Amino acid sequence: MMNLAWVVPLFPLGSFILLLLFGRRWKQRSAYVGIAATLLSLLWALVVLVDRLGGSTYEANWTWMTIGGVTLTVGISVTALNAWMLALVALVSWLVHVYSQGYMAGDERFSTFYAYLGLFTFAMLGLVLSPNLLQAYIFWELVGLGSFLLIGFYFYKEEAKAAAKKAFIMTRIGDVGFLIGMMLLFWQTHSFDYDDIFRAVGDGTLSPGMTTLAVILIFIGAIGKSGQFPLHTWLPDAMEGPTPVSALIHAATMVAAGVYLVAALFPLYEASHTAMMTVATIGGVTAIFAATIGLVQTDIKRVLAYSTISQLGYMMLALGAGSYVAAIFHLTTHAFFKALLFLAAGSVIHAVRTQNIEEMGGLWRRLPWTAPLFLIGALSISGVPLFAGFFSKDEILAAAWTNGPRLLFWLAVAAALLTSFYMFRLFFLVFSGKARHHEDAHEASASMVAPMFVLGVLSIASGYMQTPWFGSFLGEWLTDGAYRHEAAPGWIAVLATIVSFAGIFLAWLMYGAQKMPRDWLSARVPYVDELLRRHYYIDDIYRLTVVSLVSWISRLLAYVDRFLVEGLARLAAGIVGAAASAGSRGQNGQAQTYGAVTVAGLAILVVIFALTGGYWL
Amino acid sequence: MMFLSLLVFSPLLGIVLLMFVRKTDERMIQWLGTAATVPPLILALFAFVQSGRGFRLERLDEARDWVRLTDLPFLTDAAYVIRYELGIDGLSLVFIVLTAVLATLAALASMLVKTEKKGYFLWLLALEIGMLGVFSAANFVWFFLFLEVTLVAMFLLVGKWGGLERERAAYSYLLYNGLGSALLLVVIAVLLARTGTANFALLHEMLHNPAAEGQLIAPLTAEGRRWLLGGLLLAFAVKLPAVPFHRWLIRVHVEAPPPVVMLHAGVLLKIGAYGMIRFGIGLFPDEFRSFAGVLALFGVINVLYGALLALRQRELKRVLAYSSVSHMGVVLIGLGALNEAGIQGAVLQSIAHGLISSLSFLLVGVLAHRMGTTDINRLGGLTKAMPLFSGYLLTAALALLGLPGLAGFVGEFTSFLGLFQTKPALAAVGALGLIFAAVYSLKAVLDITFGRPRDRREAVVGSREPQASAASLGEPQGGVVDLQGKEAVPAFILVALIVAVGVYPQLLAAPLTAVVKTMMNGLGG
Repeated sequence: MMNLAWVVPLFPLGSFILLLLFGRRWKQRSAYVGIAATLLSLLWALVVLVDRLGGSTYEANWTWMTIGGVTLTVGISVTALNAWMLALVALVSWLVHVYSQGYMAGDERFSTFYAYLGLFTFAMLGLVLSPNLLQAYIFWELVGLGSFLLIGFYFYKEEAKAAAKKAFIMTRIGDVGFLIGMMLLFWQTHSFDYDDIFRAVGDGTLSPGMTTLAVILIFIGAIGKSGQFPLHTWLPDAMEGPTPVSALIHAATMVAAGVYLVAALFPLYEASHTAMMTVATIGGVTAIFAATIGLVQTDIKRVLAYSTISQLGYMMLALGAGSYVAAIFHLTTHAFFKALLFLAAGSVIHAVRTQNIEEMGGLWRRLPWTAPLFLIGALSISGVPLFAGFFSKDEILAAAWTNGPRLLFWLAVAAALLTSFYMFRLFFLVFSGKARHHEDAHEASASMVAPMFVLGVLSIASGYMQTPWFGSFLGEWLTDGAYRHEAAPGWIAVLATIVSFAGIFLAWLMYGAQKMPRDWLSARVPYVDELLRRHYYIDDIYRLTVVSLVSWISRLLAYVDRFLVEGLARLAAGIVGAAASAGSRGQNGQAQTYGAVTVAGLAILVVIFALTGGYWL
Repeated sequence: MMFLSLLVFSPLLGIVLLMFVRKTDERMIQWLGTAATVPPLILALFAFVQSGRGFRLERLDEARDWVRLTDLPFLTDAAYVIRYELGIDGLSLVFIVLTAVLATLAALASMLVKTEKKGYFLWLLALEIGMLGVFSAANFVWFFLFLEVTLVAMFLLVGKWGGLERERAAYSYLLYNGLGSALLLVVIAVLLARTGTANFALLHEMLHNPAAEGQLIAPLTAEGRRWLLGGLLLAFAVKLPAVPFHRWLIRVHVEAPPPVVMLHAGVLLKIGAYGMIRFGIGLFPDEFRSFAGVLALFGVINVLYGALLALRQRELKRVLAYSSVSHMGVVLIGLGALNEAGIQGAVLQSIAHGLISSLSFLLVGVLAHRMGTTDINRLGGLTKAMPLFSGYLLTAALALLGLPGLAGFVGEFTSFLGLFQTKPALAAVGALGLIFAAVYSLKAVLDITFGRPRDRREAVVGSREPQASAASLGEPQGGVVDLQGKEAVPAFILVALIVAVGVYPQLLAAPLTAVVKTMMNGLGG
């Protein structure tokens, strides 16, 4: 079946095209088309996954374009990583398709929403099947398109418009890095194929300096897509999109594409110590940086967005510390618990019609399904033992301890503390305490609860693929048996547990039991509080530096264009005009003048002839 | 066989028939004018399909005696004989197909043109003959003649059917392109004087084959060749246009009627690229090497200059005009790379930009007709009233910024890939243009289609752009109606072509492979 893996992305593509053509006629029934298409994708992907579990990598290529003697190809490559991602993406996408039927019900552009979801799913599935950098880049930008369209789904809102534009442009900045890196690699190896490039690293065709340069450039692409510092600013704004979109694109799948890309190119990164250190540092810094901002956000989706940025930082840290398996493991568990958290948040928003957590409270009873499911997600992301997040985070901490710089390890531990704190701040603010004027708040329909339930189960169960107790199935399979469990000291797991409970306890003190004042931080260090609320002023810094520089240059060029270039053109026209009037003065009808002109012309020609011998040049 | 003559001159039938139609019978004129563009389209597509199946295009060559300039006894029979010669290869073919397709679509889009329709279509068809002829000529003199046909037709179409400042734009066009043509004429004259022939193949033979070089009437030194090439490149740089010869393009884009801009941006600019490849690389490959660096540098300047200026524009046509400057820079980048990827990229970028700019200006025409303005400050939230139109406009913007899966990406990717082999640092600087392209396209199009709908009569207070008034073509004529069936057809065809080239570029790359290989042989690469 692996040779037919290329069919998997075609179902959502079909759904996209059908809905674009007939969606307006089908209206609310459009959902069934999308759901059916992604279900087929999921089933097909599962068959491929099962095949790959017992088989080996399959690859096929077709011509895309020939340039001289070089043939650029597109194709499919069913590696363990790809098969895994394929199933993961198809699964989350299908769940979100089901959930959206309830969430988006009644929207005027319901079918358009499903069409865009289909386009995104197609692109994401195409990305994780890519056997070469070129195809990866193509789908890489197409997932960006899906994200752009869905962030801007509520097109009439100015915020949504700005957010969509920002998301596209910020990720494009990263993409240009990716493009440059990929082209540099091409001219060193004369191929975009992963395998050819890895071979070139192995046999030394690719110099270490070039390898480092190229992979860091490609990593800039990953920074943009995965919302890593300093290109992260688009991701919180992307929350302007409908919540199911945030769950699918800006939590579970697309933003993880950066992690996937580094993982897919892992042999290349491993060849360069500098690149690995860069990845680890960016990841570690982002993890703590985003977590601190998450502490003070008041919009439920933005808290989750910063948490996503922070968790993606963990994955990058894992990759940089050399633990490919830990990164993919955390990518998987994160996909489940973060999708769950977003869908649950969507259910909350659906019920109370606000995103401001300070206006929420006491929803535990009103949302009897959503609340416990959200709690599962929160426990999982906080790294409470027995939940999936515990195992994957533990794996990352272990990797950071054994291979990474100590500082990054401690940053990761601190970020873990902050994570459990802000997650439970969110939990207590939303679900505990007194109910506030949301008397009509009630649980959503079964079509919304059911996907959350599935994700809830997976947010626990997915951790047991890779545990110190039941063996490392995932790691062994992903690495084709080459996996060795890092002999990390046992105290790391204990420390992680303590840290996670400490964060929960602190959040309970402040927001649950309210034994500690909420303005504890802002009262003591108001400027720190302000700094965090303003997201470290990153957006303002960009506006004052890059944006104003570009606009200044652009204004300067506009003057150059209008005065200098135009002036030169006028000058040229003036010279022609002057020559014309001078020439016409020679044709004044007097025979003497004609004679003079003729003689003068002849004289000039004779001089030229004498000087050049008739042939100039 | 007269296949090529038939292809080039078949619009003439339409011209003749149009002469007999009454001026007031607009429906008949529209119908006939559109129908007249169909025969060349069919013939071009037929040739394209046949060559894809292995038909050798050289078999289409035509030659006929035309003018004998001298009868000096010591010259060979062939010298100073200018013949009527047509002939095409894969390179010409893709441009001919582009021309034929866009001509039909522009004719369809011309239904929004209401004044003096008869004269308009006469000149439009003349323009098509000129363009088809330029790409089919196998002889420098005929190339030049066809080029001048386009110049005259275009001058009249802009000057008579354009916007408020149409005459200024028309003269600007004439001035720049006239000077370019004059330079070209000098080069052609020198070549003819020295070699006694204007035929491309013969010229090539005489300039490169040491044995044939003896037949030169007078020798051409290496320095002389460099001068000739410099003249050629300069002449075509005006057509392309390269910064700083781009001011006429902005005026024409803004003032010409949108269907004419479809052909202007879609085909006429590409004559610059075609000329540089055919004559620059084709006739002077060795000398071209020494110009490659300059071309690449100018390419990067074009890309960044155009994109940065497009950022500031608040009038959709001007955004698109500067984006054309930027995109033509990519063509120069490809030529400056001077390797297989670069040359192929330059051609692909030409075709891709032809399709994309046509789509953009088709939509500009509809927008101007519906809203009475293309001033971005006065538009907003159109998706609500015109969802289909907005979808197409967004597609055009995405194609413009080089989204993979659409044609623009293929051209940019291939050109940049070329330059990254030869001058990676310069190419990296040029790649920044891709970011700016995303900014200006999205900014312009989202401001029109997204956000809050605006009252189109809302005055633009304090607008310092002098061209804001030129943008308004009077009161809206159609009311806010979405894209109609007849307008949607050309838009749909263009999108389909843009997607087709973007998804499977081999479609275009296949006919080019042999040509690019020949050029590379000439370059000794």
